[in-house]
Order: sequence, then C-alpha cells, then structure tokens
Amino acid sequence: MKNSYQPKIAVIKKIKIQTPEVKLFTLQFKNKEDQKNFKFIPGQFIEAGLPSFSEAPFAVCSNPNDSDKNFQICVRIAGQLTKKIHQLKINDQLTVRGPFGNGFPNNLTGNILLIGGGLGLVPLRPLILANQNNKNFKMQIFYGACEAKDLLFQDEYKIWQKSANLVLTLDKQCPNWKGNVGLITTLFDKIKVDSSAIAILCGPPIMYKFVIQKLKQAGLDDANIFLSLERRMHCGIGVCQHCSIGSKYACKHGPIFSYQELKNIPGAI
Amino acid sequence: MDKKQLQKFIQWLQEKNYIVIGPTEEDGQILIETISEPSQLDFSGRLPLYSFKKYLVPSREILFKYKKDDFKADLTAFKQALIGVSIFDLKAILLYNQVFEKDPYYQARLNNTLIIGQSQIPQFQDLSFKVWEDKYEEDILEHLQFDIFLGQAKEKKSSEFKIFTGSKKGQQIINDFAKQSGWKSDYEHIEYAGPIKEEGVSPEMLEIKEKMPGSLETDIWQNLDQRCIECGKCTIVCPTCFCFSLTDQPCLNKDEGMRKRCWDSCFYGEFSEITGGHKFLKNTAERIYNWYYHKFVRIPDEYNFPGCVGCGRCSMVCPAGIKIHEVLESIKTK
Repeated sequence: MKNSYQPKIAVIKKIKIQTPEVKLFTLQFKNKEDQKNFKFIPGQFIEAGLPSFSEAPFAVCSNPNDSDKNFQICVRIAGQLTKKIHQLKINDQLTVRGPFGNGFPNNLTGNILLIGGGLGLVPLRPLILANQNNKNFKMQIFYGACEAKDLLFQDEYKIWQKSANLVLTLDKQCPNWKGNVGLITTLFDKIKVDSSAIAILCGPPIMYKFVIQKLKQAGLDDANIFLSLERRMHCGIGVCQHCSIGSKYACKHGPIFSYQELKNIPGAI
Repeated sequence: MDKKQLQKFIQWLQEKNYIVIGPTEEDGQILIETISEPSQLDFSGRLPLYSFKKYLVPSREILFKYKKDDFKADLTAFKQALIGVSIFDLKAILLYNQVFEKDPYYQARLNNTLIIGQSQIPQFQDLSFKVWEDKYEEDILEHLQFDIFLGQAKEKKSSEFKIFTGSKKGQQIINDFAKQSGWKSDYEHIEYAGPIKEEGVSPEMLEIKEKMPGSLETDIWQNLDQRCIECGKCTIVCPTCFCFSLTDQPCLNKDEGMRKRCWDSCFYGEFSEITGGHKFLKNTAERIYNWYYHKFVRIPDEYNFPGCVGCGRCSMVCPAGIKIHEVLESIKTK
C-alpha cells in the first residue's frame, strides 16, 4: 500500500541568494528514478523537511519542463525549519513529499494577468517559465514588493520581459527606483485590464480582498479569477483538517481556487 | 450464546493471542481498558466515558523511525479484539474506515483488529437527554461495519446474546470457536449495506446541514464564544474527532528520532496558524463554528453521512456546560 507520508531524499545542487531573507534552492532527488518520475503542475507544492525539524509546504517554483532533471523551492527564514534550511550547503539533503494539490488550470489561453505580492511571486514563476514561448498566452505580470531589496528573481526580469509585460511596484520609495510606488492595487488605476482576462493571484491574504475589488471593477468574471491560498498544512492529502476551507481542503482541492468557488465560503479569503 | 459461553469465547480469543479490550467498571465509571479476565467486562450497555477511538486511531503513533535521512515506516500491528463496541462507536468506525481508507498504518491496525459490537437496546436509558431520535432496531446493523455483533434483547434481562456476523473474518472466528469448543454454532449473517439507510440521510441531519452556513448571521456562535474555554475536552472524547498534526521527536542519540502523528484539536489557536502568525480561525466563535461545520457539513459533503454519532460525550465532559443538542436545536430554530 502506498505510504503518502514516506519522504524521499533530495540533494541540494545549487543555492542562490534572492533577498536577505530568501534563498532559492535547486534540488535533485538522490534516487535517479525518483527524479525521472517527478512531475508537477505550476501551482502545486511539496512538503519539504529535515529530520527532527518536521516538514512545511513550499511551492515548487522551477520550470515544470525541467522536472526530470531538478526542481526548485524558495525558502524565506520564518521559523525553526526554514532557519535550519538556510544553514544548509550544497550536497546537503532535504526530505521531500509530493507534489500535492491541484495546480493552476492547464488550459489557460488568451490574456493572462499574474498578480504577485511579496513571496506570492514564487508559485507564479513556473507558469511564467513554462509559457515563455506560448503563442496563445498573452502574459501581463503585476508584481509588488515592500522594498527594492525584497524583489525576487531580479536577474530574470529581462528574459521574462521578452514574452510578458512585467510591471513592478514598491510599497515604499527606494533610492534609484524609477518604477511605480504604491500598493499593488494602484497599478489598476494606471494600467487598463482587459475584462476578458484570466487573473491569477498569489500574495498575502490582505492583498486578495482589495485586488479582487479592482478586478471586479475591470469587469472580470468570478470564474476567471484564480487564487492560490495559503493555509497551515500537515498531511498534504486532505486528512488532517488544518487547511480546511468550507468543505474543501487547500492541500487537496487547492491550493488554487477560482473566486467563484470561494466567494460564498466565510473566511476563505 | 449465554454469558458463560461468551466468557469462554473471550478466553478462547485470548488464547489465540488477541489482546481483548472492552468496557469495564471502575469506581462507578465505565472505562474501556485491556482486560485480563472475561469477568471484568461490563455488558450493561452503559456508555463508556471514552470511545474505542484510540485503539484504531491512537493519540500518538510513530509513523517513522529515522536515522539521518533514512525514514523507516513501522507498520506492525498487534492482534486486538475490541469487544462491546456500542452502536455509537461502530458508527465512528465507519468514518475512520473512510477517512483512513488509504492510510497504511490504519489499515494494518484494522486488519489485525476483531470488532465485536454489542447493543442492549435502547442505549439512551442512562442519558438524561438525547441528541436526536433514532431507532436501534436490528435493521441498523446493516449499516455498520463489524466482525461480530452481540445483540441483547431489551425486554428480557437475560444474559442471552444473539450472535450476528458482519464479515468473513467474523464468520471464520465463530466457526473456529464452535468447532474447538463444542458450542452449537448459531448465528445470523448481516450483509453491510452502506453507511446510511435506503431512505438516505435523516431529514433532521439535512436540516442542520442546510442551516449551518446561515447560522453565522445569528448570535449562536458569539454566545458560545463567551462560554467555551477552548479546553479541547470535547475533541478528545468525541469518537469522530480525528484531526492530527505531524511532528518530529528527536532522540538523545545523534541524528535519530521519530516522526509522529498525534491528535490535535481545532480549538487550539495554533491549529490554523501560518508563518507570520496569521490565524485563519481567528477566535473562539470561528473555531467552535468550524467544529460544528466539520461534523454537520464537511463530513456529510465528503462521505454522505453525519459526522456526529449522537453519543453526547462532548456534552458530558464540557466544563462550560455546552450541550450539543441545545446548540443543534438553536441552529434549527434560528
């Protein structure tokens, strides 16, 4: 019988500092077969952990087309486990379970608006990377961070901009910053959003309420607004009850939900 | 089967290396314990303080023992016979069987467990209230999963048990016992017909399910917020509360430890807390609503049967005097 709690071992192949608090880890399963069989959909997550430090959910943030070679997660120092992960070096190991969850819808075409707040850009990155040459995908990215030093994947923006319209905003004015200043919602006052667009949001819970208002004003359909929800997760398979949202589980039925699914569930957003 | 035969049967199970667990009286309370002598068992039908939950879903269990990065699952389970399992607790086992359908630890335990139900009808006799009406006639057995069931006629105070079997394993055990003990085998087999009656879920359950979301607009949950002290006792005694957390416990030896699965309680603040301290169940009102929502909406949505077996244990242990039947009544009438 399959044991969903059985972790596999992944080896750290590369570590890249993104911000003072965030590191990007490139991982490869120790067992070659495990790596070959590892397939994920953008938006899905894994449970990564360390013996004696338990596990936590992390979005897989690499290009899904590279999943037979390696995969990446972004880790921000936030607690005991992530502090310990930040101390790891190349060739150190992590435990990995998953991928879990549904991922973003796989039939996206047309105008796609990705809206990321803070670390919320992380789960959106595989979608950006996988659709760089997709002719049916007209991509616009709104990305907001607190300060310039918090912007993730800065060295990739030039490549992204070849296939996407990337708009950045910072909450605070920073030295040498020529882009927009203000919360992510202020971008909607400056840039027209097409009413037929599909919007995909990932960010802190507070961002959703206000961004959805803007999207509704722009005329987007509830079924065309997708949100990635963060919850406490333990099992990853819809049993332990920590991540329940109404009668659904973020780990199993989500973490990606359409606004239509969520709007009548109290406390969902 | 008379009481003497039953005691022989229990002894026979013990000889077959079954650990026998059942209701026993201690200081006027009925507790569920491992027994050494069949005479320790209490078949009065009085409701034990705890359910049989921990024998199938342990409060703490080791999922893995690890040494560095080597995680070894321990799926060994010992043979146990749960005897005198009430209809309430059998209903909870239906839920575990669904929730842990794909769980190798639960399945290993279940495979090594002999479930012997028992009912002396009606069971409500020593409850001062009832959560809702239900007929405990024989036809209810079709909707329970057990290996063997001991039925006691309610009109006779006799110690005569009518034997039912509900599985091949149960039939095998009864046949083997008959063959080896000389007992004249006499039993009726019940074929499991799913968790709910042909008519479907009871109208009362459907009404509560319908009215739960709307009850958020009322003052029910705010009132409970003022009373509930979030001790979590109801979640411990509730036979259908199964939520858990996964934690690592390092050993004193370097690089060794255990990954454990332990009962959790949705009444505790950390239950829904994420990195950065945000809690999705922000206050007592939201947490107690979530508890009721799980029993009366989420479980019915997932499995199409109620998530409350109606035993009333939560009301008995609540230090704040919250009575589930009163809460349900207020949901229905508001």
